[in-house]
Amino acid sequence: MSDQPASSTMVSITLNVNGVDYPVAVDQGRNLLSVIRTEVGLTGTKEGCDDCECGACMVLLDGQPVNSCSYLAAQAQGKAITTVEGLMDGQEMHPLQRNILEDGGVQCGFCTPGMLVSACALLERNPSPTEEEVRIGLSGNLCRCTGYAKIVTAVQRTAQELHP
Amino acid sequence: MSSTTTARFVRADGPDKVTGSGRYTADLTLTGALVAKFKYAEVSHARITRLDVTAARAIPGVFAVLTQDDVPDVRFGPFVQDRTLFARDVVRFEGEIVAAVAAIDVPTAQRALNAIVVEYTPLPVVNDIEAALAADAPLVHTDWAAYGAADVLVRDRNDASFASIAKGDVDQGMADADVVVHSRYVADGCHAAPIEPRAVVAQWEGNKVTIWTSTQVPFDARAGVCETLELPANRVRIIVPHLGGGFGGKCGFHYEAHVAALARATKRPVRLVFSRREEFLAPDRRREGIVFDLQTGVTRDGTITARKVWLAIDNGAYTADAGFFSQLAAMHALGPYQVPNALAEAHLVYTNHQPSGSVRAPTAPQTCWALESHTDEVAAAIGMDPVEFRLKNAVATGKEGPSGQVYDEIGLVDCIRAATDGAGYGQPLPDDEAIGVAIGWWPSFSVPSGAYVKIDGDGSGQIITGAQECGTGAVMTLRQLVADELGMQAEDFELVYQDTSVAPYDMGATGSQTLFNNGRAAVAAAGQIAEQLRNLAAEQLEANPADIVLADGAASVAGTPSRSVSIAELAGIAAGGELLIGHGSGAPPAPPEVVGATCVGDVGMAAWVAPQFSCHAVRVKLDRDTGVARVLAVSTAHDSGTIINPIGAQGQVEGAVLMGIGQALTEGTRYDDQANQRNAALLEYKLQTCADAPQIDIRFIEINTPDAGPRGAKGLAEAPNVPTPAAVSNALAKLVGAPIRQLPMTAERVWDALNDRSAS
Amino acid sequence: MSFVIATTLDEALAALSAGARPVAGGSDLVVGARHGKAPLPADLVAIDRLDDLKCVEITDAGACIGALVNHHTIETHPVLSTVYAALADGSALVGSPSTRNVGTIGGNVMNASPAMDTGAPLVVLGAEVELQSVRGSRRVSVAELWTAPGRTSASSDELCVAVHIPAPTARTNSAYLRLEYRRAMEIAVVGAAASVTLADDGSVAGVRVALTAVAPTIIEVTGLGAGSIADVAAAAANAAAEQARPISDVRASDRYRRHTVGVMASRAVLAAARRASGESIAIPVNRALGIGAAS
Repeated sequence: MSDQPASSTMVSITLNVNGVDYPVAVDQGRNLLSVIRTEVGLTGTKEGCDDCECGACMVLLDGQPVNSCSYLAAQAQGKAITTVEGLMDGQEMHPLQRNILEDGGVQCGFCTPGMLVSACALLERNPSPTEEEVRIGLSGNLCRCTGYAKIVTAVQRTAQELHP
Repeated sequence: MSSTTTARFVRADGPDKVTGSGRYTADLTLTGALVAKFKYAEVSHARITRLDVTAARAIPGVFAVLTQDDVPDVRFGPFVQDRTLFARDVVRFEGEIVAAVAAIDVPTAQRALNAIVVEYTPLPVVNDIEAALAADAPLVHTDWAAYGAADVLVRDRNDASFASIAKGDVDQGMADADVVVHSRYVADGCHAAPIEPRAVVAQWEGNKVTIWTSTQVPFDARAGVCETLELPANRVRIIVPHLGGGFGGKCGFHYEAHVAALARATKRPVRLVFSRREEFLAPDRRREGIVFDLQTGVTRDGTITARKVWLAIDNGAYTADAGFFSQLAAMHALGPYQVPNALAEAHLVYTNHQPSGSVRAPTAPQTCWALESHTDEVAAAIGMDPVEFRLKNAVATGKEGPSGQVYDEIGLVDCIRAATDGAGYGQPLPDDEAIGVAIGWWPSFSVPSGAYVKIDGDGSGQIITGAQECGTGAVMTLRQLVADELGMQAEDFELVYQDTSVAPYDMGATGSQTLFNNGRAAVAAAGQIAEQLRNLAAEQLEANPADIVLADGAASVAGTPSRSVSIAELAGIAAGGELLIGHGSGAPPAPPEVVGATCVGDVGMAAWVAPQFSCHAVRVKLDRDTGVARVLAVSTAHDSGTIINPIGAQGQVEGAVLMGIGQALTEGTRYDDQANQRNAALLEYKLQTCADAPQIDIRFIEINTPDAGPRGAKGLAEAPNVPTPAAVSNALAKLVGAPIRQLPMTAERVWDALNDRSAS
Repeated sequence: MSFVIATTLDEALAALSAGARPVAGGSDLVVGARHGKAPLPADLVAIDRLDDLKCVEITDAGACIGALVNHHTIETHPVLSTVYAALADGSALVGSPSTRNVGTIGGNVMNASPAMDTGAPLVVLGAEVELQSVRGSRRVSVAELWTAPGRTSASSDELCVAVHIPAPTARTNSAYLRLEYRRAMEIAVVGAAASVTLADDGSVAGVRVALTAVAPTIIEVTGLGAGSIADVAAAAANAAAEQARPISDVRASDRYRRHTVGVMASRAVLAAARRASGESIAIPVNRALGIGAAS
């Protein structure tokens, strides 16, 4: 039940997270999630399983969604990493953040960061998704609280706001 | 009364949660913190012949390795004191903790676990609920008779809690029936599976310990620490950061004492974070498997004459909070029906499985599934439409239920009509689709609860409550209740919650009780401040306090709104004199009496205060070649009293229905022949995804409920989880031509039923 | 112990020759290491920046899919999703949007899981894998490549650089279906791909069927011939059920797998025939036609 594979080669890398460079020295076997949460110090990205089955750890790598629990930190150098903390524009919430909150798509909130990151990637790729496309687009993010209904509503409302 | 929150409800903890700034327990770090890891039994029943931690303790970077020898020798358990923090002599399920390690980092902790030497002699594995009740079955606890236990429990060998409810003459009732239908159903166990795996951080300062933990019930957790580590309550402080869901899975007392003991032994903060696999295997909060034997006697005109039920619940290896499950399941097996002659017998049976405990409406979804599937069989046996049968026999206002309780105003019949209307029940459907209908019920839990409210000199307020927020929004809704009492806005209040050293007692996020009980407490606390404000305003405005109206952030004289002073101004005045501080608890409504029924093993579950009712109608599509089913639409109606927060209430129904669909089709624990879980991972234990979720129609039957919570509210978090699997079952039975007798009704089980049907 | 990010193919091949293991998306490797299946190899070479391996080339001869092309690209590629539809069906069913983004065709093929969703499609499409090492380059058919669960006939210094699929003949198309218990985040309980060539009279002139998760490797069904579409579909169902060698595990019993793989084989033939006749069925067939169809 170990968190990390046993291995002991340290590598010095620079991770660009939400536009900021973080030089870190990490074991080559460390996953990106644990480095973001520990060395980089951003805990918005969550760990819910450890094998790509829940989506709580979702981040964007060069704009594409990635399960950071199963991605080597060392491999992320040179790529632009975006976490939930990077979705805000200064003190302004991203429309997805505001709408998921107002539409009641947040309960316990543990899946929310990963869900928002996936929704962001979806709308980037497909600005006007159908409901079915939203559901498939978010299908890698498990939520146990909401039954997804209000999350889907919020994503559709955001799409309409951004691309009326 | 009607819905009171018309404005859009934006939860107070929402900005934290959507921006990533909110801290959950696993997000906390303390300087010098060590990593905790547990050594698990990994065998389901064995005697420990050797346990040697010497080598583990000698590893550099290992600060402590603890076993039962290192903690007070206390047996604990809320109903039966059958458990110790660490295994003592015998391990009884695979996730039992044998030892705990605190080390400098994860790899070192892992090496220490590997260095612990444990040798076992296997004991016979009790893997089957019914077999465990046999007179010659191996005992899970050979010392069961010597254990301390609640006086009301009726215990015998592997039976940890027997309950019966008897009313009338069931034999005569069966003899009076035209048809007696006899059914057997088996429900597998399943999991709460919150997305946040649990975490605990403990730190000692002097002789006091602070424990940050992902619990739904901080006061229960405190009680467990106090009991097992022999500490007074005022030296144990439990703080719950944001909680990543619970669904009952994080009720009870879990690992707070283990981590506190490690922190005390190492004189360092210690941090435990579970993996998903541990989350599946170790906690004593799994939904219980149950075996059902159901008989109902009915006359040709569709009147129930008698019902006789027997059931055996999988308690697992230890009795967590499951002591009350037998009587609760007995009630659910008799169901919300007018049954003149009833006999229910329920056993809570030790096995070598993971212990069972309260998961969202414990015993109810699976018992409702069995009873409601059986009810469709009964209706079919007399050629009656199953909805008509329910309308004829369901409990209703002024009618007597199966345990003799006569119901005040309730809305079950309205629920049946509303849900079936919403589903278009009776409409023509394609050959591979059907609508199944089921009804359910659930008690409101009337218990003590407390809250404080204060308003500071600038007119801003705080609600300091013992209640626990697990995501439902129930604690968030307190702001509205308090604001309405004081003529203020919800946004005028901040919430201070889930800190046992700051706030008064509350039972926690369990039993759908937060709004029901803590709402009452918060309103009472606000009422004290309202009285202070009226007195202050009366002085300022030279009026009678009884004539002061609190509204729109001001106190004014009734009928003369121009004579007014703002609450902020009053707060400023109060800050220089008698402070605005309110405290509230309020008297919990008394439980109704049981009349006319005889209850053995009575834990107070045979008559319910402010009961909640529900009906779900589910449209299912079946691929007959493979047995794969998909839920297309769900129509729901609930009598949960007044709905104070509609968005929050809808969210409870939507989430519970999807959880129910999972329980119906894909979620079930599989055991191997040695009682080890085979699917302790999210790929093999399949939660429903966003792509699976159907359309859900939600209707609330808001009636004036006696003895309800604030404004006539009952609970809601559990009730919508009750009838969904049953409704799915009744749709599938129509499509297959026979009921699916095991839960979850997996594709393969449906396919097997189709084959049996075509063979016969 | 080393971690190298290769910027050229030669660098990557040199690292492999020195004993390093390649990592593209890394999911299987990282998850496998954490679950104790196999320790993370000491020497790793990251190949995800070899842009030359991220191209899809379509020629008259067929499709050349670079090893680092991900599933999302395959499922949305205008030619792959129409002409080589079974492969797009398979890629569209892999895991979730993020795993389809990280997971590559080369990683999939070299992982050699009998449950991989792209496996049966590649068999019926007659795919070959191009393996390259410092010693040179060679091509093997996918059937020769997969030898056992997680095992291939490639040697450890060989890197999969591309998957080659011959262009289909006229009036030919393909489809892949799998049995799944939910509509996403699934692994195939069983699955079947079919490639069907129609004769001028609309009957089946030729057919290939391959099966997922019913044997230690993806297997091709033998003994199928021409006939009416309905007859060929029925024959495929029977042959698939007969030739399957399924196990019982936590996902399904052997007898249920044996039955349902026949159902999937039949449905794959029917969907492939419809596509071969010119009808468009959206990717993936599972969601376009199956129980999982959007309601």
